[in-house]
Amino acid sequence: MATENEIIQQLADKAYEFGFETTIDMEVAPPGLDEDIIRFISAKKEEPEWLLEWRLKAYRAFTKMKMPDWQHFKMPEIDFQQLSYYAAPKNQAKYNSLDEVDPELLRTFEKLGIPLDEQKALSGVAVDAVFDSVSVATTFRKELAEKGVIFCSFGEAVKEHPELVKQYLGSVVPHSDNIFAALNAAVFSDGSFVYIPKGVRCPMELSTYFRINARNTGQFERTLIVADEGAYVSYLEGCTAPMRDENQLHAAVVEIVALENAEVKYSTVQNWYPGDKEGKGGIYNFVTKRGICKGAKAKISWTQVETGSAITWKYPSVILAGDNSVGEFYSVAVTSNLQQADTGTKMFHIGKNTRSHIISKGISAGRSQNVYRGLVTVGPKATHARNFTQCDSLLIGDRCGAHTFPYIESKNPTAMIEHEATTSKIGEDQVFYLNARGIDTEQAVALIVNGYAKEVLNQLPMEFAVEAQKLLSITLEGSVG
Amino acid sequence: MTNTLTSPIIAQLPGVFEQHLSDRKQAEPASLLTQRDEAFKTFMLKGFPAYRTEEWKYTNVAPFLQEAFSFDTTTTVANTTVEELLKAAIPAGLDAYTLVCVNGKFQKELSQVPAEADVQITTVSAAIEAGAYAPHFNTEYDYKHTFEDLNTALFEEGMMIVVKKGASVDKPMHIIHLYHHSSPLFAQTRQLWVVEEGAQAQIIETLVDPASNNAVLFNNNVTEIVTEATANLQHYQLQTALHHVRIVHQTRVHQHEDSVYSHFAFIMSSAAFTRNNIDIVHVGEHIETNLYGFYLASEQQLIDNHTAVHHAKPNCNSNELYKGVLLDKAVGVFNGKIFVHQDAQKTNAFQQNNNMILSEGAMVYTKPQLEIYADDVKCSHGTTIGQVSEEALFYLKSRGIGEAAARNMLVHAFAYDVTAQITVPAIRKYIEQIADEYLDTFANN
Repeated sequence: MATENEIIQQLADKAYEFGFETTIDMEVAPPGLDEDIIRFISAKKEEPEWLLEWRLKAYRAFTKMKMPDWQHFKMPEIDFQQLSYYAAPKNQAKYNSLDEVDPELLRTFEKLGIPLDEQKALSGVAVDAVFDSVSVATTFRKELAEKGVIFCSFGEAVKEHPELVKQYLGSVVPHSDNIFAALNAAVFSDGSFVYIPKGVRCPMELSTYFRINARNTGQFERTLIVADEGAYVSYLEGCTAPMRDENQLHAAVVEIVALENAEVKYSTVQNWYPGDKEGKGGIYNFVTKRGICKGAKAKISWTQVETGSAITWKYPSVILAGDNSVGEFYSVAVTSNLQQADTGTKMFHIGKNTRSHIISKGISAGRSQNVYRGLVTVGPKATHARNFTQCDSLLIGDRCGAHTFPYIESKNPTAMIEHEATTSKIGEDQVFYLNARGIDTEQAVALIVNGYAKEVLNQLPMEFAVEAQKLLSITLEGSVG
Repeated sequence: MTNTLTSPIIAQLPGVFEQHLSDRKQAEPASLLTQRDEAFKTFMLKGFPAYRTEEWKYTNVAPFLQEAFSFDTTTTVANTTVEELLKAAIPAGLDAYTLVCVNGKFQKELSQVPAEADVQITTVSAAIEAGAYAPHFNTEYDYKHTFEDLNTALFEEGMMIVVKKGASVDKPMHIIHLYHHSSPLFAQTRQLWVVEEGAQAQIIETLVDPASNNAVLFNNNVTEIVTEATANLQHYQLQTALHHVRIVHQTRVHQHEDSVYSHFAFIMSSAAFTRNNIDIVHVGEHIETNLYGFYLASEQQLIDNHTAVHHAKPNCNSNELYKGVLLDKAVGVFNGKIFVHQDAQKTNAFQQNNNMILSEGAMVYTKPQLEIYADDVKCSHGTTIGQVSEEALFYLKSRGIGEAAARNMLVHAFAYDVTAQITVPAIRKYIEQIADEYLDTFANN
């Protein structure tokens, strides 16, 4: 049996499994950010005038904003002028079937374990694969179209359903919400758009795979999901990125609108390149995710498994505006080496009888820092609002940190709010128990961690749960302290 | 992000400070004068804490600093008046030594002090001159608020209490801070307590500012405490001041190995604004820290408790329990921080904050916070916001207890976890009685 230190060493030395780069001709805009580049992006995407105006408005707001200073990590200096804001694969032909897609690209997805054609046959998952900003292949369009479900790239949605986009774009995350959301609004390249019509239960799980591929290209996705009255949709987002030396900025925005009785379930598995063991390289994952339960009895549920990125900084939130609406947040955040995570959720209780449930499991190993930061706020009109929050931290190794910053605000005498948090190290006696039964330390830790995170993993759809468990094992297997 | 706080005081301060310094040129040791000067410069650079900054996110001090304050603490109050006021301030049945400070200055002739072999009471400047306690005064601290700098610059005369090595003070010491003024007063109170090796003491603090003063008091209090090896100190803060009082109270404790420090904060006042900062720094191993608090706020009061425990050494325990009841349009703020440094293995740290909101319009902002850099630790925190349980109320009512009495009973039960920790029976009775009065007034409205 390998000793503790050997295992930790092995783990630290483990190269990023999905670290490879695809060589496809890219069309890349020169680095720099000004109104011209925004006009260029807008023109490239053949956007209507109102969208360009909206982008410019966001850009002007962006130029007036300052970088926040409250986060619990050292903010890297980001020179926005050094980034390139547009990259698209050159052969932009519209494909009718998978056969027409660049085989190089398909191989990339295959390496990631998501062969499109296989998925088509086996899992029933429609995949809108975003390859550095431009959507190249979409499956199951037909079946979804029969139900009236719109699932397409953002660019297409702007062209084909401008009225829907115009109505909901920026309605949850305004163009000036925060500095990265403003940047995204100004330069977003593409993303996904989902609309589920009244009373429709989306027949399959919708999924988008993101990959960041071009050097020096910040990725600015924008996702907008609208669930009309009584609709249901489960949306999956999974990410891996190739290995590289320079840090990359990823500032995505996800907006969810759930109308009366609608339910949206949004699941994320994030495994972007975290940097090497010296902390060199790695993705900055600065994402704004927010949903609004607009109508009564609406429900939005966020589930995330965060294992990658040099810095993860995001707070998927729910605005509970409709009476009896429900917000949920389930999260597993794993950090190792020099990774940093400052993540959590925000629940805004505005409507009557609104409920929120937060489960957060942080695991930190190596020299990483893992922060849960959450906000639960109950407004004066949110009578009988109910919140339960549990955030646990697990420490593996004596050089890592686990931190909890919950902000809890109540302005209502009928609200019931509970918050509890614990921090402890991985149980030596549990490891010993498993050792004594012939399970080596490596497997024992994987077992304990998977058990620890089970409450969250259980929330993931089947296809994702498997991948998530694999990711947890890859990131943490054997790192016992 | 930063919004600068404007207050007429800012313009007034340089003049006040210059006068203050020149008055002291002869009397005070040079080292103290230098510290005052530096502290004042720091304060003028930073100013009063601005609203919405992380440490003052929910507490805006600006409205409490708008009066034309005087910094003149001279008073001509008759001793007979003082004695009457003191009598009212002492909880019934409390058998304790009484240490009286009038407008921040210790008054020996009004006090009953313990035996000099056990406890030595002097002024801070005398202590600094003597040298032995200079290192304990105005110690470096990363999280200092500018209020503390202002205090260092402007305090008139501080009180220093030294509980001698191995002494076990037979009765609690009750410090009564009496204020007497006829115009709005901005007063700095400064204290330095050292509990020497193996010594044991109980210290109770009360602030008295009678209604007859009828003018605003802004009390900026700094208390530095050192518990040396194996010392044991129980510190009771009874904040029962009236509406015209505003309090910013900083308590910083440096605990050495095997020492025990227990803090009891009871904020049952009607003071418009109370901000308590308690900062505990562990300097040795095997330390125990207990922080208990109970706050009862009504009308438009703002009560803000910030605590921080720095676990810097291994094998230490800390325990924190704060409970609050909010009535009318009161606002309660709680922020508890626990820092476990990298070397502080085998730390146990527990923290809990429970709140009851009993009126529409009352608000609670709570933020229990853990920052942990060591792995072999057990830390947890919990917080709740709720109200009187309808089922419990129904149970009591069905047994013939009236609604008001039943509610009162349930609030007492809620506070019980904290009040049960009080080791001085007279104080416990006193606190419970004040709580009763509050709840009765509330029920009758």
